Amino acid sequence: MALVGNIQDFGLSDFLYLVDRGYKTGCLHLKRGNDAAVLFFEKGKLVFASQGTGGQKGDLLVQLGKITPQQLEQARQLQSHNGNGMSLSQALVSGNIISQEELQQSLQTHIEEAVVYGLFGWPDGEFRFEHGQKPEADTPVMPVPVPVEHLIMEGVRRIDEWGRIKDRIPSTDMIVRFVDQPGEKAKGVKLAPEEWRVFARINGKDTLAMIAQKTNLSDFDVCRVVYGFATAGLVEVVKKPTAPRGAADVPRVKRSLVSRIISRIEKM
Amino acid sequence: MQTVKMVISGAVNSGKTEFIKTISEIEVVSTERRASDDTKLIKKETTVAMDFGRIAISKDLVLHLFGTPGQKRFDFMWEILSEGMLGLVILVDSTRPETFRETNRIIDFFISYRDTPYVVAANKQDRPNAWSPDELRLALRQPPHVKVIPCVAIDRESVKNTLLELLYVILDRSAEG
Repeated sequence: MALVGNIQDFGLSDFLYLVDRGYKTGCLHLKRGNDAAVLFFEKGKLVFASQGTGGQKGDLLVQLGKITPQQLEQARQLQSHNGNGMSLSQALVSGNIISQEELQQSLQTHIEEAVVYGLFGWPDGEFRFEHGQKPEADTPVMPVPVPVEHLIMEGVRRIDEWGRIKDRIPSTDMIVRFVDQPGEKAKGVKLAPEEWRVFARINGKDTLAMIAQKTNLSDFDVCRVVYGFATAGLVEVVKKPTAPRGAADVPRVKRSLVSRIISRIEKM
Repeated sequence: MQTVKMVISGAVNSGKTEFIKTISEIEVVSTERRASDDTKLIKKETTVAMDFGRIAISKDLVLHLFGTPGQKRFDFMWEILSEGMLGLVILVDSTRPETFRETNRIIDFFISYRDTPYVVAANKQDRPNAWSPDELRLALRQPPHVKVIPCVAIDRESVKNTLLELLYVILDRSAEG
């Protein structure tokens, strides 16, 4: 079943988080007016993206000046000789038409800069995620799939509106703390110096306002950076604990009473 | 006569009234009024005060079910309703991602106020394009220990199952005796 919605309500960064943590394979279709884009994911990582209704395929690399039309044809013939299992990218590399490194670099740069980061600027747009949908054989997928935390961080750097940030960080009086196991996730993220300054101040005790004060950054800058960390799943932003209330305030009900209710509802 | 209380909350049109109607032994006392704000775009009538249902557990014990109003301007009711509650069901319309942020806000309100046992009921799972419970867990950023249960609020067995799952959470936290 497809997941449908609007990125105005469920942002692209939220969706990328879902794809990553859900280890999803499929295609995210985005549509805004006459514009459209597709993003293909394999086990939670981005393998290809294109923008425009036409849909770029193998000729993308020709347009980027990385291969000639003759080389593209040569790769396609190699694909057909090897049956259905070989992707265009595999044919290009195994046919020594382009090195894997160069193919990766040119595709990744194009996909990130010309497609994905621009999509973070869409204020709205319908999305539809088709589970299991894979790129066609003629699609030049990236040889090394790209982790989405990296995309989220970079995309969020381009967000300059309070509105979206406030959805997750309603107040600078909230505390930032690391999630239990950021581990592998943190490795895919490259931080700018300003982000390192904030990152180093996160201790699970200081509020956002305190971090802003200690780093000499504005509240907005700190919130934007932390929003990126939170969206990528590295940290969580929580309310300051209020001393007078808490767990002690919850009445501990008796086990026998709960068991009676369970027994009654089971018989209904 | 001892009474215990469970609260059913969620965004506008998440299915709170239906959930209580489906399981209550009495006709639900519902204070539905014609919607006067944005909610009228979603449904003609919506819960502006609360729903109230009842299940008799035994001669001396009754379970009350309270449904909270969904609109933000009735936030003050949530605090009143949550006083002394046994546990909380958060209903989410699995077909409307535009309500997920509001659902998060509601969860945040209840659990930051008290360490309340709760489950998330992924309602309308019988509809096309319903997000699965696993997808909702990620969309709502709920930790693994929080149960996200598939639910159809108009189906009695499904509502029973949701309440039982919440009761098992409460049981785990209960005191001996």
